[in-house]
Amino acid sequence: MFLEAQHIEKQFGRFCALDDVSIGVREGVIFGLLGPNGAGKTTLIRIVNRITKQDKGTVLFNGHTMTDEDMMQIGYLPEERGLYKKMKVGEQALYLAQLKGLSRRDAEKKLRECFEKFEIIDWWYRPVEQLSKGMQQKVQFIVTVLHRPRLLIFDEPFSGFDPVNANLLKNEILSLRSQGATIILSTHNMASVEELCDDIALINKSKVVLSGSVSQIRRSYSRNRFEVVTQAAGSPLSLPAEYVIQSHKTSDGEETFRIALPEGCSANSLLSAVIPQRQIVSVSELLPSMNDIFVETVKEGGVQ
Amino acid sequence: MNKILLVIRREYMTRVRKTSFWVLTVLVPVLLAGLYAIPIYLAMKPVEKSVVVVADESGLFGGLDRDDVQRSDSRFNSTGNISYRYAATLEYARRMMDDDKQITAILYVRHRASEAIPTDACLYYKSDLPPQQVRYDVDKQLQRILRNRLLQAHGISDDEYALISNTKINLRTEDLETGREAFLEVKTALGIILAMLIYIAVFMFGTQVMRGVVEEKSSRVVEVIVCSVKPFQLMMGKVVGIAMVGLTQFLLWVVLTGVALAGIQASNSELFRMAAQKHEITELATKGGEATLQMEQSTEMADIPQLVEGITSIDFGVILPVFLFYFVFGYLLYATLFAAAGALSDNDTDTQLFSLPLTIPLLVVLLTMPVLIDSPSGTLSQVLSLIPFTSPVAMMLRVPFGVPLSQLWLSMALLVAAFPLCTWGAAIIYKGSILRYNILSKWRR
Repeated sequence: MFLEAQHIEKQFGRFCALDDVSIGVREGVIFGLLGPNGAGKTTLIRIVNRITKQDKGTVLFNGHTMTDEDMMQIGYLPEERGLYKKMKVGEQALYLAQLKGLSRRDAEKKLRECFEKFEIIDWWYRPVEQLSKGMQQKVQFIVTVLHRPRLLIFDEPFSGFDPVNANLLKNEILSLRSQGATIILSTHNMASVEELCDDIALINKSKVVLSGSVSQIRRSYSRNRFEVVTQAAGSPLSLPAEYVIQSHKTSDGEETFRIALPEGCSANSLLSAVIPQRQIVSVSELLPSMNDIFVETVKEGGVQ
Repeated sequence: MNKILLVIRREYMTRVRKTSFWVLTVLVPVLLAGLYAIPIYLAMKPVEKSVVVVADESGLFGGLDRDDVQRSDSRFNSTGNISYRYAATLEYARRMMDDDKQITAILYVRHRASEAIPTDACLYYKSDLPPQQVRYDVDKQLQRILRNRLLQAHGISDDEYALISNTKINLRTEDLETGREAFLEVKTALGIILAMLIYIAVFMFGTQVMRGVVEEKSSRVVEVIVCSVKPFQLMMGKVVGIAMVGLTQFLLWVVLTGVALAGIQASNSELFRMAAQKHEITELATKGGEATLQMEQSTEMADIPQLVEGITSIDFGVILPVFLFYFVFGYLLYATLFAAAGALSDNDTDTQLFSLPLTIPLLVVLLTMPVLIDSPSGTLSQVLSLIPFTSPVAMMLRVPFGVPLSQLWLSMALLVAAFPLCTWGAAIIYKGSILRYNILSKWRR
C-alpha cells in the first residue's frame, strides 16, 4: 500500500469525528473518499496531512510513518481554500510553491510554463481580488500540483468550476494518474466517482462503512437485474412468474426489457427463457450507480 | 527554518510595499518638522500694523487727563507695529473703531466705586480676533503700569523693586553620593515620551498581527499554508515579520525627522539664529512675568543651559538599549497574544472582544501614570515594572531616574522568561482555533 491509515481515532470534545477508521490506497490509483457532510472526511484528510493530530492510530506512507520529507511529496487542495487577496497572482503562486520546497528560480520557471499552458499568464501581475472564484481555483490547482507530488489530495475539487473547466480539471487529474501520481479525491459528485475513481472508501458517521474497488462494489450491490434487447415481436414476452419485468420499451423495431431475477438465477436461465420467443440483440447486467449505492448505504446507516 | 524565513519575508515585503506604509513613514516626520518649524515662522512673520484704543475709566492707565505727571511708565507705549490711542469712553472708542479699519481692539477698563484698583479689564474686538502678539503686548503693558502705580503709591523705587524681584534662591535636587543633579522635569518628560512610544508601538503593530491572522482565516488561505508550514512557524513568521516592519518604520522616522530638521535649519540658518534668541527672550518674559526690566538680567538666562545640562545629564547610553529591549520584547510578548486573539476571531467585531483583555494591563499603567511619575521608586512602580505585561511601559517611566541594576535585570529576565511561556500558550490557542470558525457563537451557545 502506498498510503495506509490504520485504526485512526479522533475526538473533538465529546464529539467523535473518526472511530477506528482504516483505509488503504494503492499506488497509482485514484481513490475516492466519499461520505455525507460531517462524516469525517476532512478530518481524515487533515490527519493524513498532519494538520490535525489523531488521538489513536497510525498513518503509513510507503510503509513507514510520515516524515517532513514525505510532506513535500504531498499536494493538498483543501475544501476551504483561498488566496491572499491583496497579493499579485504570480507572487502568491511563487510563495506557495517555495513553501513546498521549490527554489525560487525553479518555481518561477515551472509556474510560467503552467500559466502558459492554462492560458492565464496574463494574470501574473494582477492582484488576486480581481480574479473570479473559478480563476482563483485554477491558480490553486496549479500551485497544488506544481511540485510534482507523488500523492495528491483533492477535497471537493470540482466545487466552483463551470462544466468546461470541470472537464479540463477531470482530464488533468486523469493525466496526473497516468504520470504515476496517486490521488485521493474527496467529493459528493458521484458521476465523477464512477468516471475517475478506481477504489473508494465510504465514511458515514465517523466509520468506514464501505470500501473496495468501484467495479467490485457495484457488482456486489447488483440486484441480479439484466437488460435484454430483442427484435420486436407481436406477442408479449412470457417468463416464469418469479422473473419480474420492471420496464418495457419499444423503439426502432427493438424491444428493451429490464428484468429482475430471483436469487440463484443467472443470466443463462433468463436467456434460455427468452431465446425461444425473441431474436436477442444484446444482454447486459444492470449495475447500480454509485449514487444509488451511496444513498442506500448512508440511509441504512441512518436507520441503525 | 527556511520556511519561517519565507513567511517573514512575505509578511515584511507585503507590508513595506503598501502605499499606506510609506504615507505614514513620510507623514510623521513631516508633521514633526512642521510642529518645529511653523511656530518659528509664525513668530518671525512681521505683524500687521494694529491700533488698540484704550478706554480707561479708572484713570490708572493714563486714560483721564489728570494733573499728575504723565510719565511714560504709567501709560501704554506704542511699540513697533502696535500703537495705542486713548478714548474717554467706551462709546467714543467704539465710534473710532467703526471709522478706522486699523483699530483691531478696544481695551476697556471699567471704573467701579467699590474698588480702588480695578481687578479686571476687557479687550473687545470686532469679528476678527486680534493677533496673539497684540493680546500679549496689551497684557504685558497692563501689568507693567499697574505695578508701577503700586510702586509709586508705596514709595518703592525701581532699583529696590529690581533687587527684590531678582533675588531668588535655587532649589536643586541632588544625589547625595554622586553629587549630580536630578533634573526631575526633563526626566519625567523623557519617561512619559518613551513609555507612550512603547505603548503605541505595542498596540499598533500588535493589531497588525491580529488583523493578519484574521485575514488569513477569513480568506481561507490558512489551510493551504498550514499543510506546508507548521502553524507555529506561520505565527512566529508573522510576529517577527511585523516586528521588522515596525523597526524599519521607527528607524525611517528617526532618520527622516533628523534630515528634515537639519534641512529646515540649514536653509534658514539666519532665521533660526534669530528665532533661538527670540525664544530665549520670550521664555524669560513668561517666567519672570516682565520682559523689559529683566531683559538685561542674566541670572534667568542660566535656566536654558540648565535645561541642556539636564538633557545631557541623562544617560542615553543606558536608556537607549533599555528602550530598544523593552520595545522589542514588549511587542513580542503582546504580538503572540494578539495572534491568538486573531485566531479565535472570524471578523473585526470578534477581534475587539478578544483583544479587550490584552489592553487592560497597559491601560492600568497609563491610568496610574501620575502616581508612578510622582514616585518612580515607589512600591507601585516597582511592582508594575517587574510584571512582564506592564513592565515595558512602567519601566520606561522609571529608567530616566535611574533604576537599581538588580531590579532592571530582574525585570528584563522576567520579561524574557515570560515570552516563551506566552508564545507557548498562544501557540496552543492558535493551533487549536485557526481552522475552526464561529468559535464565538459556539461559546455563546
